[in-house]
Amino acid sequence: MQTNLEKLQTKKYLMFSIVGTYFVMLIANLSGHEITTLVTNLLYVPIPGALVILSIIVAKRFGIKGKHGRAWLFFVGLAVSWFIAEQIWLVYDLVYQIDPFPSMADFFYLAGYPFLFLFSIYYLKPLKDAISKKTLTYVSLAAIALLVPSLYMAYDTDSEISAFEFTLALIYPIADAIVLIPALIGLILFFRGEVNFLWSLICMAITLNVVADTGFLLTSMDGSYYMGHPIDMLFLWAYMLFSFGVYSHIQIFKRHRPNIKFQSLDDLR
Amino acid sequence: MFDATNEEISKALVTLAIEKTLINMGKPVLDEVTHRLFANYKCYIPDCHEHPEYLKNVLEELYGDCYNTIVESIKENLGELTTKKSIMNFLTVISE
Repeated sequence: MQTNLEKLQTKKYLMFSIVGTYFVMLIANLSGHEITTLVTNLLYVPIPGALVILSIIVAKRFGIKGKHGRAWLFFVGLAVSWFIAEQIWLVYDLVYQIDPFPSMADFFYLAGYPFLFLFSIYYLKPLKDAISKKTLTYVSLAAIALLVPSLYMAYDTDSEISAFEFTLALIYPIADAIVLIPALIGLILFFRGEVNFLWSLICMAITLNVVADTGFLLTSMDGSYYMGHPIDMLFLWAYMLFSFGVYSHIQIFKRHRPNIKFQSLDDLR
Repeated sequence: MFDATNEEISKALVTLAIEKTLINMGKPVLDEVTHRLFANYKCYIPDCHEHPEYLKNVLEELYGDCYNTIVESIKENLGELTTKKSIMNFLTVISE
């Protein structure tokens, strides 16, 4: 069972990690362009890597049976896809020193979205009765409100990019808008007090990731993006929120030694 | 010959319905609920037939106000037995 002290400690570690990343990136940005590129790329190894390890632990605990089990299996798919994507990006950027967009990394980033969507559906299934049609409508409208300007930005970009790059730039906002719907539902349930903070961490992570993606699209279109841009901090924070969300589930659903339930048949009566 | 009373049959059916619902969510969910019931109330799932409030509290701890979905699933698993008096009492308390 996760005690109040453990919950408090989890929140403390989360805050520490968020503030720590902020300072690491701030110092890197103050130390010059090369250091920023190196530090940011390297941060994408342990942070998404930790998420892969934690998601495998939680998926192993739940197994493949049951609704939660299936949800965590999809989550492993997401964590592994995005981890591979980050490492491909790192190799292109740091080793080959070529623009990683478009590359195989995009294939793995995009492969993560169906996993993320299926995970959120299974994750929110136990809460389905608390989701009204009104909430669903508002949330869908919010997703569309985010999608329209993002599509416009992607469409309005300079004509030098290839048709493939253009298609990729269109797919990301659409995928983001789709995963934003269950994430916002989770957040609304949290603000209504229907689920606790640690349950909602994963929904916060999805929302933050969507915000970061939109920011990435915006800064890439106006050419102001560079590796180590503050937008990268949002991506890293999203990974951290994901990790702490998964960690809280590992804490909640700890392995317990089975209690000896009944000594004799009479105990059943 | 094992003679079970109506009360004992109800207890067994409620236990099965609770366990089936929780195991459908995942084995660790069943383990956690069992563990919390014992840690907080020194009782087991079959005892929830007499003390539905214990199960309600544990589910609320884990799922917040959204525990109602789990209660609905327990009801579904009980099927037409929900009209039985002792099972109705159990469901009334747990749904409050």
